[in-house]
Amino acid sequence: MRRYVAALSLPALALFLPETAWAKGQFHPEKEFAQHDWVPIHLGSLNLSITKAVAYLLLGAVVTILAGLFFMRGRTLTRRGTTGELIYDIAQTQVAEQGLPSKAIGRWFPYVATLMLFIFVVNLLGFIPLPLSDEKWHGIPTFGIYAATSSLSVTLSLALLTFIFTHVEGIRYNGPVRYFKSWIPEVPKAILPLIVPLEVLGQFMRLISLSVRLFANMLAGHMLILTFVGLIFVLENVAVAVIAVPAATAFYLFEVVIVVGIQAFIFAALSAIYIGSAIEPEH
Amino acid sequence: MLSLIAAAAPNVDAGKAIALALGIGLGALGAGVGIGNIFGSMIQAVARQPELRGELQGIQWLGFALTEAVVFYGLIGGLLAYVLI
Repeated sequence: MRRYVAALSLPALALFLPETAWAKGQFHPEKEFAQHDWVPIHLGSLNLSITKAVAYLLLGAVVTILAGLFFMRGRTLTRRGTTGELIYDIAQTQVAEQGLPSKAIGRWFPYVATLMLFIFVVNLLGFIPLPLSDEKWHGIPTFGIYAATSSLSVTLSLALLTFIFTHVEGIRYNGPVRYFKSWIPEVPKAILPLIVPLEVLGQFMRLISLSVRLFANMLAGHMLILTFVGLIFVLENVAVAVIAVPAATAFYLFEVVIVVGIQAFIFAALSAIYIGSAIEPEH
Repeated sequence: MLSLIAAAAPNVDAGKAIALALGIGLGALGAGVGIGNIFGSMIQAVARQPELRGELQGIQWLGFALTEAVVFYGLIGGLLAYVLI
């Protein structure tokens, strides 16, 4: 008990430090996530400019295609071929077969597998320092980490694709009447007016949860790393680096090893589950 | 720091900081319990039936990500409070 009190009173002592001990440098991590038009493209009121996020997405698409070509062309029993088979196996057994009914796998496996690979590549590109940033140092763009998936527009449009495909496929396989009837659960008629709005709302909550999960994960991951490194500049003391840099490295490794893969897997698996549950509602 | 807080009393920034901290802090509290539960149950399940490990692993990570996302709803709430007010 005494040990806890001692441990708690140490940070409390910091409250009585003079004001000058808290002198602050300038640190604005949110500026890393601002979008500036690099190549302005305006169609009426629609802004289709090439920004940082778009550049990362284009790069991600190219890398995804190249990775697909590279790994799927490998001969069997070489390291390249085995990696390709491993990726394919995860996409098939862990993602597609978990959610999709067998009659729809042929049609929807490409979509969920692409989704998994693409989000994985875009997430991973976000943790590799690339000279794609707005700041310049002697004319050379500075290296920075930024993931396109830490922008809500990107994840929302990916989630919107799944949302549209879910309902289109539900209607195509079951017909509109049977499909929308399947939303309504088997409950006594009296509480239907309470349940039906909740079910309809639930369909839209899927859209929000699917997009916000990926977006906030990547945003928070980058923010954590930036904040730890930024502490050195906020407190204006190089000695902070002794703690800040290892902590930032630990979070970096956590993000790269666990979060990047898990988020890509989750997005694809949930897309498969949503599409599958629309094709074959309630047994 | 107490002098800083006293100086910032009429300032909205203090309130914003509290909103952000509470948003992420309370969110992390709930998700911490949830994630601990998931991994605890996973350890128990694998200890009892090690042959089911492969099947359970997919469900485990799904549950982990679904629970972990709860933190970020808190964070988004805090950010909304920070940006809107």
